[in-house]
Amino acid sequence: MTPTVSASGLSLHYGRTRALDDVSLRLTPGVTGLLGPNGAGKTTLLRVLATAVPADRGAFTVLGHDPATSRGRQEVRRRLGYLPQTPGFHPDFTAFEFVDYVAILKELAGRGERHREVRRVLDEVGLRDVRGRRIRKLSGGMRQRVALAAALVGDPGFLVLDEPTVGLDPEQRMRFRELIAGAGEGRTVLLSTHQTEDVAMLCHRVVVMARGAVRFDGTPAELTARAGGRVWSSAGRDPGAKAGWRTGGGSFRNVGDPPAGAELAEPTLEDGYLLVLDGDGDTAEVAA
Amino acid sequence: MRVAAVDLAGAVWRTLPRRVLAAAGALGLLIAAVPAATGAEPTPWQTLTLLRGVALTGALGLAFLLDDPARHLTAPVPVRRPVRQALRVALVAPLAALWWTAALLLVPSASRPPAGAITLEAAVVALLALAGAAAAVRLTEGARPGPAVAAALLLAAVLAPLSLPEDWALFVAPGDPRWAAAHDRWAVLLAGAVVAGAWCGPEPLGRRRWRGAG
Repeated sequence: MTPTVSASGLSLHYGRTRALDDVSLRLTPGVTGLLGPNGAGKTTLLRVLATAVPADRGAFTVLGHDPATSRGRQEVRRRLGYLPQTPGFHPDFTAFEFVDYVAILKELAGRGERHREVRRVLDEVGLRDVRGRRIRKLSGGMRQRVALAAALVGDPGFLVLDEPTVGLDPEQRMRFRELIAGAGEGRTVLLSTHQTEDVAMLCHRVVVMARGAVRFDGTPAELTARAGGRVWSSAGRDPGAKAGWRTGGGSFRNVGDPPAGAELAEPTLEDGYLLVLDGDGDTAEVAA
Repeated sequence: MRVAAVDLAGAVWRTLPRRVLAAAGALGLLIAAVPAATGAEPTPWQTLTLLRGVALTGALGLAFLLDDPARHLTAPVPVRRPVRQALRVALVAPLAALWWTAALLLVPSASRPPAGAITLEAAVVALLALAGAAAAVRLTEGARPGPAVAAALLLAAVLAPLSLPEDWALFVAPGDPRWAAAHDRWAVLLAGAVVAGAWCGPEPLGRRRWRGAG
């Protein structure tokens, strides 16, 4: 399958901090999850691929266009939808006005046609009834859906979503998962998240980053399989475990190299993720 | 550009920090109207200082012109940042010109300084504010650089008259023999502000920003 995004050797430094370190990846249609601890470089990678910031080294193409040239960057941007970690809004705009504003910036010509497209995406994210309401009067979840509508307007071929479910309650998160799953039908979505459940439920592929580099690139099943035979239960925290926590049932779940005779447990995607990080991330935080 | 200019201008107009600009404009006109309102007859130096205060007030408002709370969401759109920034300036420029003309007319004509020279000073302060805002947008990730730029401008306005050596004096009175030379320096500053603003507008293609999110 021809990749939507093909990146090779992307590197970016902020002063002495290595934000991206020789990142190469290929993205195909469907939802690809991007996992990693805070500071792993996920947001930086997304911003580079979204052409919001250029890399120091390396190259990439989006839908065959090279953003290293001015013309190529314009072509990429015409095919891109981007939902940043902190979208930010003009709070006096209504939901409709804001998405229409983004549609204008995305060069959607023809007022009638553009307004139809804005209504379509607002309907798609379930904001039909509040599209005339000012953004400052919308809940956090609704605002996040306005931002998703702004990303979706113009039917982009490549959608970049940076932690879209952060701060949402479980019901809103479930609703957002439905939306992202729908968005991933027929287009390429790169979804950065801290939620391994998001990846397990939505993604056909997962990339794990740590310290600016790709540590894993495969299917969720392959990431889960990394933890096969390396998860066990015990009455107390096993000091030899790389990570361990008390479960709701009172026993401890341990991840690492099990001692002989350990009671092995069914691995999850999160277990595989913790083992891939293996000291590269803040595993205590991830496990919490 | 594919999008209709009128649609783009209308959308950008709605994103302008109109309250801040209106507040700065109103305050500036109030300052200019003080002599007329109080019936005072200020000296030429007092009127000049008053107009410099008016110009600074307007520039402090313009420091907020490039604030854009949706900056991160709209960073990768086809309509380029310099186009959007230039449009903001173009939309405000005629109003700013009218406002400054009104301020000039409000001060007593008997003590009004040469209009061209004081307008040059006002233009420089306004362009320095805009260049500072453009630099903040280019070099930082903040969506609202206005307050920091305004604070820096205010600080510079306070410190410049105190710290500039005699040979480089900018804030001189009309009768001062250094008046013409000072306005040559204002003209150089004007050119510098234009160059700085023009440099800060475009988005870099191949090099990263100097500071950014982790």
